[in-house]
Amino acid sequence: METFVLNLLNGLSWGMLLFLISAGLSTVFGVMGILNFAHGSFYMIGAYFCMEVMHIIPNFWLGLIVAPIGVGILGVVIEKTLLNKIYNRDVTFQLLLTFAILLVLDDSVRLIWGAGYHIVDPPKLLSGVFHIFSSTYPIYRIFIIIMGPVVGVSLWAFFYFTKYGKIVRAAAMDREMAEGVGLNVPAIFTAVFALGSWLAGIGGALAAPFQSIAPSMGERIIIESFIVVVVGGLGSFPGAFAGALMLGLLESFGTELVGEIQMALPYMLLAIILLIKPTGLFGEKQ
Amino acid sequence: MKKRIFSLLLALFFIFGMFGTGAFASKKPVKIGFIYILSGPFATYGQFAKKGALMAIDEINKSGGILGHPVEAYFEDSTAKPAVALRAIRKLVLQKKVDALIGLDSSGVAKSVVGTIEQLKTPLIITHAATPDVTGKQCNQYTFRISVNLSQNVKAAAILASKMNAKKWTTIGPAYAFGFQSWEYFQKYLKQLKSDAEFFPKEKVAFPPFKTTDFSPYITKVMNSNPDGVLISLWGGNLVNFIRQAKDMGFFNGKYQVLITLGAAIEVLSALGDKMPEGLWVGTRYWFLANDSDLNKKFVKDYYKKYKNYPSYNAHGAYSAVYAYKKAAEKAKSVSKSKIVKALEGLSIELPVGKVYIRAQDHQAVTDATWGKTKFTKKYPFAILDPIKVFPGKEVTRPVNLTGCNLK
Repeated sequence: METFVLNLLNGLSWGMLLFLISAGLSTVFGVMGILNFAHGSFYMIGAYFCMEVMHIIPNFWLGLIVAPIGVGILGVVIEKTLLNKIYNRDVTFQLLLTFAILLVLDDSVRLIWGAGYHIVDPPKLLSGVFHIFSSTYPIYRIFIIIMGPVVGVSLWAFFYFTKYGKIVRAAAMDREMAEGVGLNVPAIFTAVFALGSWLAGIGGALAAPFQSIAPSMGERIIIESFIVVVVGGLGSFPGAFAGALMLGLLESFGTELVGEIQMALPYMLLAIILLIKPTGLFGEKQ
Repeated sequence: MKKRIFSLLLALFFIFGMFGTGAFASKKPVKIGFIYILSGPFATYGQFAKKGALMAIDEINKSGGILGHPVEAYFEDSTAKPAVALRAIRKLVLQKKVDALIGLDSSGVAKSVVGTIEQLKTPLIITHAATPDVTGKQCNQYTFRISVNLSQNVKAAAILASKMNAKKWTTIGPAYAFGFQSWEYFQKYLKQLKSDAEFFPKEKVAFPPFKTTDFSPYITKVMNSNPDGVLISLWGGNLVNFIRQAKDMGFFNGKYQVLITLGAAIEVLSALGDKMPEGLWVGTRYWFLANDSDLNKKFVKDYYKKYKNYPSYNAHGAYSAVYAYKKAAEKAKSVSKSKIVKALEGLSIELPVGKVYIRAQDHQAVTDATWGKTKFTKKYPFAILDPIKVFPGKEVTRPVNLTGCNLK
């Protein structure tokens, strides 16, 4: 029982972090049709920004608010200066461009902050542990488990119940039609990309207190996020949530039960989904 | 007239100019190629190594070079990937025409490039990668290692473990050659020293992949298996993440003995700062406070003056390899590759870590292995080792007949 609960918590906390990253990735793809390779770099920069804010004012909550906004602004700059040039071009241009952005961002981080490892303290309120059966478990991880659904539900509510959310969905469904009824689609794209970057930034800032901050910390999570997005269905919000949960739990229970083979599990899941339902669990036929 | 004086001056200028450059050109520079991880999650190791190497070269060039040749350094990024490292090595040897190679962080990389080193007929001094195979069953004439290897380090760990009140052992290590071999050698050595030691089977030990950032499933797994002792061979950012997360999950609460084979890396200790638990046994290839020799004191002082930090074992490894090359060149009175190789065999040299001897039979340095218990003091912003336990090279180095290599 104890093992089960601990693995459940481990899986959920990793899964929810994955969800935050893949939600941004999925939204950007769903609306703009862009598969953003640099998304993991935004995640990493979120962590660095959070650390920088905390150097000036040692308050994690401030970092958690300011850092994602900083990443969002970076997203706006990148969208306005680079991405908006390639919307009408072939998909390969997107892949090349976002991959180039990834390389530039990763190396910039290394130039600015160096290659060393940095760590950030969790806030006082969440820094302790609580007792569960005979073990202890960090409170901070529970906070991450809660943050996932909180962010997820607010985003879902935003997209379905607010005017702006509906506008974004309209633009995603039919760009020409949206332009025809007078919506400013380029501005919507900028806003959506900013939203995606902001989500990655939140993920990074949240990851900072329990992982070391270092260049390429986004590498692992971006690969798994792509798996999440494909498993859940490209552009699908509930899909990202389900996919992230599955991957997180596979990771924790897989480690406990099957040992080394666990490493292959995410890819096996990916292969099975692609064979059985190529559009992903919640994906719609295009 | 004016014109003639001008042309005369010009001619004189030329002749002197020629002499000037001629004096330098008669001794062409010795080129050393360095291959380290300079990007990615482990880049901090490469940067420390680069600092150590540049410091050695700076010192040597200021005091007349190697046999009068100035030393030139070329750095390449291995990115911890065998294919990239191979390309870097070929580039250094074939394009840059380096006289020697120094470096290698990853055991995986080391294992896959040593064959090429033999084909390229260029001496390589390994300073960090620890797999016993490259000075064991995969050894060759051109490959040397100046640093402590895995079997030396783990032998010291086994000696420590044999004196602990712990019977059942398990491990957490990276899922590649280094992690697997650390566990394999630990079992072998501890079994010899303590015949009733037990080791967990394959499905109960934990080998997280290189890119893992969340270690909680592995921590839970090991904690639930109720061992008496845990051998941890994670390193770099993996180790930083692991220690932080494990500490929160109560891993270090004293329920079991813990041995961290590469825990005393400055890269890790300074990143963790006050988050490093106290009283853990951590190992290293070099510890800047472990040796009282004048050479070591000077090395630490100069390094601190130059970089405002203390030298890590990787800085020490690169620094040492440059000096070993210099000493070999002086012994051979030549920088020709084949003569350097001959001279490196059996070379004795005093390094900051202590007196080191490179065995002619397997090209492995017989060098001390250092372990210690973590402790905080007011003087340093990170945990230092106290007490320090230095295992003499002779005690921890496996005899030549067990290496699977005999080049003589």
